[in-house]
Amino acid sequence: MSITDRLLKLDQRIIYALMFIALAFPILNPVVLPMAIQGYSQDAFDFSDSIPEGSIVIFEGGLGAATYPQGGPGMVVQIYHMLTKGVKCVFFSIGTEQNFWTMTAIETALKKLPAGTPAVNGVDWVHLGYIAGGEAGVGSLVNDIRATIEADYFDTPIDDIPLLEGINDATGFDAVLWWGGSEGSMPYGIRQISVPFGIPITGMCTTNEVPNFSPYISAGQLQGLFGGVRGSAEYEFLLKLPGPALGQAMATNFGGLLWMAMVLLGNILYFVQRMKGES
Amino acid sequence: MDAEILGLLAGSLVSIGAYSVLIGDNPFSKITENIYMGILGGYIFVTNWDFIQKNAIGKLMNGDLVYIIALVLALMLLGRLKPKYLWVSRYPVVVTVGVGLGMAMRTTVTADFLGQIQATLLPWNSLNNIVMVIGTITAAAYFIFTAQKSGVYKYVNTAGRVFLLCAFGVAYGQTVSFRMELVIGRLVAMLDPRVAMYTYAFILIIAVALAYGYKTKKIEWYSGR
Repeated sequence: MSITDRLLKLDQRIIYALMFIALAFPILNPVVLPMAIQGYSQDAFDFSDSIPEGSIVIFEGGLGAATYPQGGPGMVVQIYHMLTKGVKCVFFSIGTEQNFWTMTAIETALKKLPAGTPAVNGVDWVHLGYIAGGEAGVGSLVNDIRATIEADYFDTPIDDIPLLEGINDATGFDAVLWWGGSEGSMPYGIRQISVPFGIPITGMCTTNEVPNFSPYISAGQLQGLFGGVRGSAEYEFLLKLPGPALGQAMATNFGGLLWMAMVLLGNILYFVQRMKGES
Repeated sequence: MDAEILGLLAGSLVSIGAYSVLIGDNPFSKITENIYMGILGGYIFVTNWDFIQKNAIGKLMNGDLVYIIALVLALMLLGRLKPKYLWVSRYPVVVTVGVGLGMAMRTTVTADFLGQIQATLLPWNSLNNIVMVIGTITAAAYFIFTAQKSGVYKYVNTAGRVFLLCAFGVAYGQTVSFRMELVIGRLVAMLDPRVAMYTYAFILIIAVALAYGYKTKKIEWYSGR
């Protein structure tokens, strides 16, 4: 068997091991590679930054155990950004597991806030918890909060929450921040909140979903988008609040470089084999 | 040892067990899969039960009788458990699909159809805009299966295919990146300086156990490609 054949029939476990090393190396030995801010992230940041003090935003937390490491740091920064600007946040999740991770992001952001930043539960933010029903659940919530849920995440009755006094539908909100992760739920926010109520929306999705949602940005229906760990890292960078995402983005670069090298090598070897007349 | 470290240690052990499936199916990966499914299933059940209790049963107890319809429909779904009563579960499914479709459709035309067409009507004053217009039209034209691939349409079809292949390439690249990010998320936790030594120890223990299993043929070796 020729070297070309051997390389083309390389055991996939060796490739996994190489990828493991390429991803672990920058985590153990932090390396900084140049990073350009993507247009979508800049747009999302500019939009978030333009939300005036005193506004109330509705915030969907759709990150799960798998996607929290990549989107969580960005979500934490977004919550930090809003609360330090004096913007009040109304959180909810349409996934059961996501409900827990949304609370984790809120707690992490609260710990990072500078001393004296107003962040009282029920006054500056509220977590409505899990909303069942997917898109229909979102539609129901933003049309009649009190008919959809009785109490928030902490079992506080909705009528006892000062932040929701006089708010019973989406007209009470100034912006939508949709951190959908890999839920694929961004269109729910566009279809059920942004379009019918005319409220601008931005948010985050995992890297693989960026091509699905970028047409909404071109159409002006989405103000911007943070994509995956890179989006989170860019948010940390733009807000000058370094966190775990920057290090993870570097690891993605290393993995990406190895992947590209292997795709190139595979193609070259394939052509060499064909030129030799081997199948 | 505080709860955070304990969580990191459990996460590390379970992650190594899950990733060991890359070597081949083995008892560690199976145990991890089953633990994950069990915990997730239980958590989803409890969270949904809590939602139903608070927002349907609670309201019904407060005298809001309309929620009895929702509860009856929910119970009818359980008809799926016995083939004889499968038909009963079709009614709540019809209602759910109908409501979902109706709610989505009221703005789908604006959000997913008109908005996207408007976004394509761009002035031809930049390369980006030209690519966007030609790409959208030719890619859409590629799916006209009733036309013969001859004359001008042959070139339109080919151009559409090229744009679609570019889009698939982007989607593939993004998917690879997403999968790597999933691994990185776990690696960051596993290689946290507070638990890194334990992670290395877990890897060693599982590797030795698997090697013993393969050597003694107690675990079947997956030969790969």
